[in-house]
Amino acid sequence: MQLTLENVRKEYGETVALGGRDGSGGRSGVDLDVEDGEFFTLVGPSGCGKTTTLRLVAGFETPSTGSIRFGGREMRGVPPEERDVGVVFQNYALFPHLSVAENVAYGLRFSDPPGGESREGRVASLLELVDLPDAGGRNPTELSGGQQQRIALARALAPGPDLLLLDEPMSALDARLRERLRLQVKEIQSTLGITTLYVTHDQEEALAISDRVAVMNDGAVEQVGTPQAVYRRPETRFVAEFVGDNNVFEGRVVSSRAADEFEESRDSVAVEGKSPVETKGSEWQGERDRTADRPQRVELDVGGAAVTIVTENAVETDDRVAFCVRPEQMRVLASGSEERDSEPSGSELMDGESSRSRTGTETNVLDATVSGTEFLGESTRTYLRWNGRELTVRSTNPLSGEVRIGFDATAAHVVDLERGE
Amino acid sequence: METVNAVLRTAFSRLEAHALTLGTAATALVLVVVFYYPVATVFVDAVVVDGQVTIAPLVSVLTSRFYLVDIFGFTAYQALLSTIASVLLGLPGAWLLARFEFPGRETLRSLTILPFVMPSIMVAIGFVATFGQNGTLNAVLGALGLPTVDLLFTIEAIVIAHAFYNAPLVARVTTAAWESVDASAVETARSLGASPVRAFRDVVLPQLLPAIAIGATLTFVFTFASFPIVLALGGFQLATVEVFIYSRIQNLAYAEAAALAVVETAISLGLTYLYLRYEGRQRASGQGAQPQPRRSLWPESTSVRSLGTRIGIVAYALVVLAVFVGPIASMVLTSLTGPQGGLTLDHYLFLLERQQTGASYQVRPLPAIENSLLFGVGTLLVALPMGVVMAVLTTRQFRGRAIVDALSMAPLAVSGIVVGLGLLRGLVFGIEVFGTRVQVTGALAVVAAHAVGAYPFVTRNVAPLLGNLDPRLVESARSLGASRVRALVDIELPLVAAGVVAGAAFAFAISIGEFDSTVVLAEGSTSYTMPVAVERYLGRRLGPATAMGCVLLAVTSLSFVIIERFGGRYGGRGGF
Repeated sequence: MQLTLENVRKEYGETVALGGRDGSGGRSGVDLDVEDGEFFTLVGPSGCGKTTTLRLVAGFETPSTGSIRFGGREMRGVPPEERDVGVVFQNYALFPHLSVAENVAYGLRFSDPPGGESREGRVASLLELVDLPDAGGRNPTELSGGQQQRIALARALAPGPDLLLLDEPMSALDARLRERLRLQVKEIQSTLGITTLYVTHDQEEALAISDRVAVMNDGAVEQVGTPQAVYRRPETRFVAEFVGDNNVFEGRVVSSRAADEFEESRDSVAVEGKSPVETKGSEWQGERDRTADRPQRVELDVGGAAVTIVTENAVETDDRVAFCVRPEQMRVLASGSEERDSEPSGSELMDGESSRSRTGTETNVLDATVSGTEFLGESTRTYLRWNGRELTVRSTNPLSGEVRIGFDATAAHVVDLERGE
Repeated sequence: METVNAVLRTAFSRLEAHALTLGTAATALVLVVVFYYPVATVFVDAVVVDGQVTIAPLVSVLTSRFYLVDIFGFTAYQALLSTIASVLLGLPGAWLLARFEFPGRETLRSLTILPFVMPSIMVAIGFVATFGQNGTLNAVLGALGLPTVDLLFTIEAIVIAHAFYNAPLVARVTTAAWESVDASAVETARSLGASPVRAFRDVVLPQLLPAIAIGATLTFVFTFASFPIVLALGGFQLATVEVFIYSRIQNLAYAEAAALAVVETAISLGLTYLYLRYEGRQRASGQGAQPQPRRSLWPESTSVRSLGTRIGIVAYALVVLAVFVGPIASMVLTSLTGPQGGLTLDHYLFLLERQQTGASYQVRPLPAIENSLLFGVGTLLVALPMGVVMAVLTTRQFRGRAIVDALSMAPLAVSGIVVGLGLLRGLVFGIEVFGTRVQVTGALAVVAAHAVGAYPFVTRNVAPLLGNLDPRLVESARSLGASRVRALVDIELPLVAAGVVAGAAFAFAISIGEFDSTVVLAEGSTSYTMPVAVERYLGRRLGPATAMGCVLLAVTSLSFVIIERFGGRYGGRGGF
């Protein structure tokens, strides 16, 4: 079943729980389209409106304005019990005075089991589905958190709902269990082919489990896309910083030309500390819709240092640009304390210079100071200070002191663009 | 057949979908018919005399020195004294219950609910038996060779009896507040350099004061409108507004009674409004704290200080015994004592005799017991759904909730005498509705009046538990297909069963003990109850009244056992 939200807004008095402002400062609502059978996730920090959205879809709250449609049918005025949705909450919300089987069977008091199955049969097959075939006679409070959550899932699925709503279902569980359970949830969902709306604040979970993700912030949807698209091509600065580790740079366009005109631009490399243009403090305004015909090679002044990026966006001199580079795209070229763990190409260059690597892409070189490290097991996350900002890189071994890092011009992804005056 | 079934099912689910609305409407209807309408009748009686609108009765009350000073002045005065006495008697109890560990502490704590279910007329009889000329107190004093005292018909007796009722209330709310003082807050103060006394003053006391204020305000509200205690212990010589209204009703001076009732109700409602506002503000704070550890009641050391504390506790225990156990024991003792002082069952034989040979106009014990039980069950059946519906409403957020709260709790504030008077003048005497004379007879009127008085207690027992339930339980049930009412019946009510049972026991006990409106409504009818019988027998000799009182005590104790069993541990905390 397809789920459509059109211009949905929720306000409690003065407080706006869902919805933002459009370009001209007017009120705007949330638009979403969830396809039939899709695993769709709302992800964002607390207070972003994701749970409000789920509660509106479930019918626990009524939208202030806008329309919610199930398969084209307007749901305004339809009470929760007539919506055919299954809801799973973070705290399980199992009925403590009923046995596990009675919990699962509760929804079958109001509708016949789908597919002509008997009630007992339906309960048994659902307990089987969630891998707890023998739990029926037990009391919910005797079960572990993970088991309770699986029972809650079985209970929600028992009446054969059109739509499954999961509100932070894993948040109360420990990390390992969470990973195992989300695999199980995903497997059950794709077996049943049930349209699913999943709410989480955990971006890693969202990427791992979803067909598509909507990243929400401050009552508005920032970006909708596949996990890959959201991770690799964040459309806003917020998405870039919220989804995964990221390094966001702000700079000012010094020059730009088509990427194949590279050779002529070799002489216009800026050297750190000798910035040709002053930086003006102004807010970033998204203007992402302009695309150039072909990739542009853009030279930027980032806080006084010259950085080169390749982008599809059409930029002009003096435009302000924010771009991001994933830590895994940052290579450690040289370090005082560690063996070089990547090819030394470009290590002879000065900070802020760039060169063409063997693969033909241009590498930006940054000389930075290690400010902290976190050992993550398979790698180490290192925090660096460079040019007044904090950067994050991944390395196999811990780093310290002064390091030289590099990233390819093509690794940069523009997330914000403001036209210069 | 299929279609008929389908139609029926649709109709039923329609009904179910609106059941809560219907329940609310029914509750509102009952309230209007047996509370707001009667009270309004009284108000109208006060301003309409012989078909003419006049403010003469009200003006005569408000300009009369006798009414303002002797009646209202005295009412407020005795209420103030009673409040002070209740706080003084209740606070050490709170300290003992909150800060000391001893066997039976939990039991003692739940015993503090007892006065609420004690029929007031029975307590009054107990006090008469204690403080009367030949009462227990004088017997004790005489045995000790001390001069006897006559406390009956003095303000002291009234104040002590009021303290009997309200000191446990003060103790209850203060204990709850004391237990919610977080130990770490006190420890923080101590670690910052505060002495134990200083930490108490700076950290504990500020958190106790609101609770003490709540207990005191409530005590003032209750004692301002107290009726049977004052009637039995003060008589018409020491008349409060309630007693005076009652005497006006007996003299058929309805306009005067109504005018007095209007002024009294205005004052009571004002006080209750202040109380509810204050209480509402307090309830938000202080939950889930780690309480301070309790000290053992038996001293670990024999320092002068700890010894002094224990002597104080023993003295307090003696006072508590005298005030709380004394009257009840005196009542039982008196019921078994003959005129010459020997043990006898004569008074109980009198009850039997009256039952067998009593004239039709006389009050007989068995009908009184039957009526009481019948009205109790009737009250239960009406008050329980009303109270639950109200509890569901008050745990939800909606516009105008404060008004609904206030309107539904108004029965707590308006005196039983006023409701009884209104019912008598309105429904019992009969009213014209669309040309038909509608009359509600004695028994129905009594049940209605009891239900209105009892349902706030159901609400107050159920609402906090409902409020603590995870709203996601109901949301889960609803998304699984349950209507709002089904979710209430299937999920919420089973989970708050303790509160429902406690509320039911309260409702039953309140009905059994209710005196104020019953005595008005039972006037000249056969729908008298045990408390009314006690009062009627009191007119003659103390003995039979105490015997009847003991019967009442037995029935009431049974109700209490049920409250303690099911509700004491869950529903009895906080509030009242």
